[in-house]
Order: sequence, then structure tokens, then C-alpha cells
Amino acid sequence: MRQAGAYSGLLCGGVSGRTGPHSLPLARIKKIMKNSGEGVKMISGEAPIIFSKACDLFIEELTRRSWIMAIQGKRRTLHKEDLASAVIATDIFDFLITLVSNSDSHAVGGATNVMEVETIDYS
Amino acid sequence: METGGFHGYRKLPNTTSGLKLSVSDMNMNMRQQQVASSDQNCSNHSAAGEENECTVREQDRFMPIANVIRIMRKILPPHAKISDDAKETIQECVSEYISFITGEANERCQREQRKTITAEDVLWAMSKLGFDDYIEPLTMYLHRYRELEGDRTSMRGEPLGKRTVEYATLATAFVPPPFHHHNGYFGAAMPMGTYVRETPPNAASSHHHHGISNAHEPNARSI
Repeated sequence: MRQAGAYSGLLCGGVSGRTGPHSLPLARIKKIMKNSGEGVKMISGEAPIIFSKACDLFIEELTRRSWIMAIQGKRRTLHKEDLASAVIATDIFDFLITLVSNSDSHAVGGATNVMEVETIDYS
Repeated sequence: METGGFHGYRKLPNTTSGLKLSVSDMNMNMRQQQVASSDQNCSNHSAAGEENECTVREQDRFMPIANVIRIMRKILPPHAKISDDAKETIQECVSEYISFITGEANERCQREQRKTITAEDVLWAMSKLGFDDYIEPLTMYLHRYRELEGDRTSMRGEPLGKRTVEYATLATAFVPPPFHHHNGYFGAAMPMGTYVRETPPNAASSHHHHGISNAHEPNARSI
């Protein structure tokens, strides 16, 4: 099922367009790659193109698993804790645990500053 | 929590409010500016923020939120909503994913004494780090892309492994291969060199224009 969704992206002409319907900006990807470490020197022109599709697949998978968490909680709004639950439950997302965990621990430390916030959900 | 006609939340649970507010006020302001800026530049190209240095730096660290949300909407049912904190978190996850894979690909390059991270290095790193399911669609995507750049006949249909060898040869000889004359990946609209040497991070932070809008970049490289 997910495979079919991924393949349909190939037929939309997003490859050669600057930002096709399923692509992400290549210049931004290159900046993030360059900032990932001092050792990164040169980047082939095709590497950001691979990443634009890979990030598409990554966002799709993370969104799908997070949505499963949301519906298990009988909710129809995707929240940050749904993403955290999906990360914890999926082995290949282990590298993200510190990212979501740091936010959690920081939140605990800042509990005394909590104010009531109403979220506007766009749809 | 009771089932029924209730249509989702208007107010976040307290714990989520705490999570959201744990971010400093400055970060929240920066994030909001980025969201607004991304909306204005939706579907065009990377926004060149002129407001201030912080905004530019913030925008350089994440994918545009509008693009990310559009991809999420493909997966979610029509009635689903996405909270602001989920949008911010997934932006951070995408950047972390790119850095994670790039770091592994770069280590491989260094072990093999190569200076350029190639598409094959990225695919290898993904497979090594557990994203095996992505390899097949990405390989097809890459083949499709190369077909669309049809003038590079010397590489058309060649297996990926052979192309890696060519890069190794290039690294050794420092001589550009014959196909170097056709290094425009998107024709005139988006010229990109086959090998692009980027400015160092310090200079990059004050470098406000983007590669997409550049004129054809010079191919001369200094080692």
C-alpha cells in the first residue's frame, strides 16, 4: 500500500521541476547536509535529489505511525506526543528519541512557567 | 475521554501546553515568523528571509513547513487535524533524519578517501541504518531522474556499482569525466554543477542567496 503511494510520486514529474508536488527544496536540503558535520566537503548534485524523495517517504511513514497513535487515543488531532510515541515504538526512528526526549525533560524543568494556550488547528 | 459527536480539541491538554511552552519565547517567535514566511512563499523556492539574521538561520535549519504539511496530508484522512507542536516536531525530525544519514554517508566517503558524497553513498547509508524499505523506490526515482537527463548517454542504464567506480577514478585523477560537459540537472531553469563546493559554515551563515537562483556556477574547484 505504501509502496504504491511512493511510486505514484514518480509519475508526477516532480523530478525535473524546481519544486514539484512531491518534492522539497533542494537548496534547503544541501544546507542541512552541509551543517550536519565539519567533515562534509562536497555533495554530488544527485544526493539532494535522493533526499527530497527520501524525506517524502520518511514524513509519510512517521505521519502514518503517529496517526495510529492518535486514533488509539480516540482523537482526530495529531499531537506532539503522538509523534513521540511513534518514535519510541519504531526501531529505525531510534535516532530521534533524544530529540523528542530533550523536549520532554525541558518541559518538566519549565513546568512553573506553564500558561494556558489554545491551539488553532487549520484544516 | 468519551466517544460521541465531539469534534476534536480546541484546547491542548496541560501536559502538551507545558511541552509547547518549554521552548523559549525567542524560539517561538522565530518559528512563527518562519511559518508566516513559508506560507508566503509556498510552492516557489526557499524563502530568502530579509527580516533578520535569526529568521534566516532558523529557515536554513528546517524544511519549509508548508511542504511538510502537504506531504502529511497525503497520508492523513480529510478530517484529521495537525497541532502546531506536531508540525514543529516533524520539521525537526526531518532535519535530524537528513543529518543522520549524511553523517553516515560522509564517514563512508572518508574511509574510502573520497571527497564527494554521492547518491549511492546516501542509499548505502540508508540501508545500513535500517531504512531498507526506502532503497527500491529511491533507486527507481534516481533512474527516472537520470532518464529525464537523457543527454548523459555514457551513464544511461549503467548499474549503480559501476558509477561508483567512476567516482573513485575521479577522486584519484582529479580529472573531470567526459560527461562533465552536461552538468545541468534541470536544464537552464536550475543549473547545478555535478560537484559543488560549498562555502564553509561561517561564511554560509552570512550568505543569503540560494543556489537555486544562482546563475550557472563555475565548475573550477580548489582542493
